[in-house]
Amino acid sequence: MQGLWTIYRRELAGLFLSPLAWILLTIALFAHGYFFIVYLVGVTGRDLRAAMQLALAGDVFWWFMLLLPPLLTMRMISEEARSGVLEFLLTAPASDLAVILGKLGAATSFMGILWSSVLIYGLLAQLLGVSPDWIPALSGVLGATLISGLFSSIGLVASALSSTPILAAFGAVVLNFIVIALPSLDALLKLPPGHWAKVALGHASVVSQYQSSFGIGVLDSKHLVFFLVWTAFFVFIATRLLEKRRWS
Amino acid sequence: MITVRGLTRRFGPVTAIEGLDFELQKGEVVGFLGPNGAGKSTTMRILAGYLPASEGAAVVAGFDVLRQSMEVRKRIGYLPESVPLYSELRVEEMLEFQGRLHGLSRSERRQRIPRVLERAGIADRSRAIIARLSRGQRQRVGFAVALLPDPQVLILDEPTSGLDPLQRLEIRKLLSELAREHTVLLSSHILPEIEAVCPRVIILSHGRIAADGSKDELLQRLGGGSYVRVEAVVGPDVAGALRLLASIRGAGEVRDRGRLGIHHVFDVACVEDLREDIGALAAARKWALRELSWRKPSLEQLFARIALDLPAEPEPQPLASSAPAAQSVGVQVQLPVAPAAKGLTPLSPFEAPQRAPASAAGPSAGPAAGPAASSDATHGPAASKSAGAPRVVYNLNPFDQGASRDLSRPKAIDEPPAQH
Repeated sequence: MQGLWTIYRRELAGLFLSPLAWILLTIALFAHGYFFIVYLVGVTGRDLRAAMQLALAGDVFWWFMLLLPPLLTMRMISEEARSGVLEFLLTAPASDLAVILGKLGAATSFMGILWSSVLIYGLLAQLLGVSPDWIPALSGVLGATLISGLFSSIGLVASALSSTPILAAFGAVVLNFIVIALPSLDALLKLPPGHWAKVALGHASVVSQYQSSFGIGVLDSKHLVFFLVWTAFFVFIATRLLEKRRWS
Repeated sequence: MITVRGLTRRFGPVTAIEGLDFELQKGEVVGFLGPNGAGKSTTMRILAGYLPASEGAAVVAGFDVLRQSMEVRKRIGYLPESVPLYSELRVEEMLEFQGRLHGLSRSERRQRIPRVLERAGIADRSRAIIARLSRGQRQRVGFAVALLPDPQVLILDEPTSGLDPLQRLEIRKLLSELAREHTVLLSSHILPEIEAVCPRVIILSHGRIAADGSKDELLQRLGGGSYVRVEAVVGPDVAGALRLLASIRGAGEVRDRGRLGIHHVFDVACVEDLREDIGALAAARKWALRELSWRKPSLEQLFARIALDLPAEPEPQPLASSAPAAQSVGVQVQLPVAPAAKGLTPLSPFEAPQRAPASAAGPSAGPAAGPAASSDATHGPAASKSAGAPRVVYNLNPFDQGASRDLSRPKAIDEPPAQH
């Protein structure tokens, strides 16, 4: 697709040219490292493999998911619409879908860089003589990046909907929260076992799907498709919203 | 190159443009003119493929802007009014990005980028971060970005807004250079630009085309109304002078514009230049001429008339707009005995200081006394030195450019002394 790669590169450069990205990266890496130590020493009793898994699937991981992608994507459409750059982008020979995918790719890559820090911990352990399980660690990073893509696409939807970045970030956090907390609806409603809604909620649960696949180092095409379809759905909505901006 | 048929665009209940029809040939340079909100930007956005039209069709470079948007976008250079640029990038990075978007190869980019930067006159700032550039420099970068893919059609929305006069001049020069190779559609509400650059003008008003044609055509069709302004001392028989002026062959309606000191001002409507005939008449009648000029309405007046919805037959450059007494229409005779009541018409603030002294200097002073008295008048108190001279009320505020000076007061020199 023409322009996709160009836009992706520009967006990624744009992220790293803004102080926000560096601040986020610093804070996130610091917190991530801190919790890794906590997992390693306190929770898992010095089990490196379990600690790496927890770092890519534990409670803190979901907090990162809730907050980081919205902060990365909030400016991507709302601010560009404000400054008029969107008008430039949408009159350049690149389709709306290429614009959205480029931006999504940039945000996802940024998150991927963040998650790959876990590999550095593994590398350090390797150097110190303790070999981590590399395959589950790699699949964990891949999974974390994939699911970051899902949350980034939600962020883009929010950004395409809002007129200011702050509003976009807020909207995205709310949407992310709904996606993450959807399964707890089941507990809240006290649905009987076997009820169709309970089954549906179980299938739609991003958290449990994730924890039963990437979280434990299992790569299953079923889960891969699950995340990709959801991401594609939000990409579709974001593209339509971008198109709608032309009409209004 | 551009064909527009029945183009209509509505934003909810508001109709931005309605039923636009026009055509641009290859290599044509057309100026889009209109007041704010007339629909210039909307039309350009539709042509650039940013906005879809509600009705009608537009074909740019042989492709429909809605159905073959990508093809159109490859062939146009569009510079929106806001000059969108990524402010965190450097100038050359921005151009690099544009080049990649348009699929230029590395060698093409390496070759073209310095050239367009040179052309836009911003080559010396190619390493600067865009956020640090001034408005004019940003505008140049925007130009360079639009020019980079060497588009067949250039659509420039207000390319000179926010520039200082010198920059504007340079952009104008650049525009006329571009006109040789590209089809250019540019909008502006600054007329001299359009007049200087575009042989053809489309005037938009309330979303419709109010006029379309070359400048001269437009002036002829819409304006007419050229006239010769005569300012002379005609003595007390103003009616006679009016009659004489009207009797000149080719002269149309003669308007009496009232008095300026001892001079009387007339506007003689005519299609051709009648200055020589009027000059000969003045010489024969021994009128002391002070002004004899051939005035044609400018595009600016034409534009203002269209923009303000004024009737087609206008008051060309009204000398006195605020004083109803002076707005004499047609051959209306002012009685010489009471010229003071109509008297001096309020002039524009900038004219005032030069005109005022003539009245302040007293009855004996002819026009020759003007410059000498001028310093007196501006220094207020000095004017009262000549005792018995008519009192002139002046605002002594030094910051006042003369706007509030009461120029209706001085009357004495207007009176033909013998008759009273």
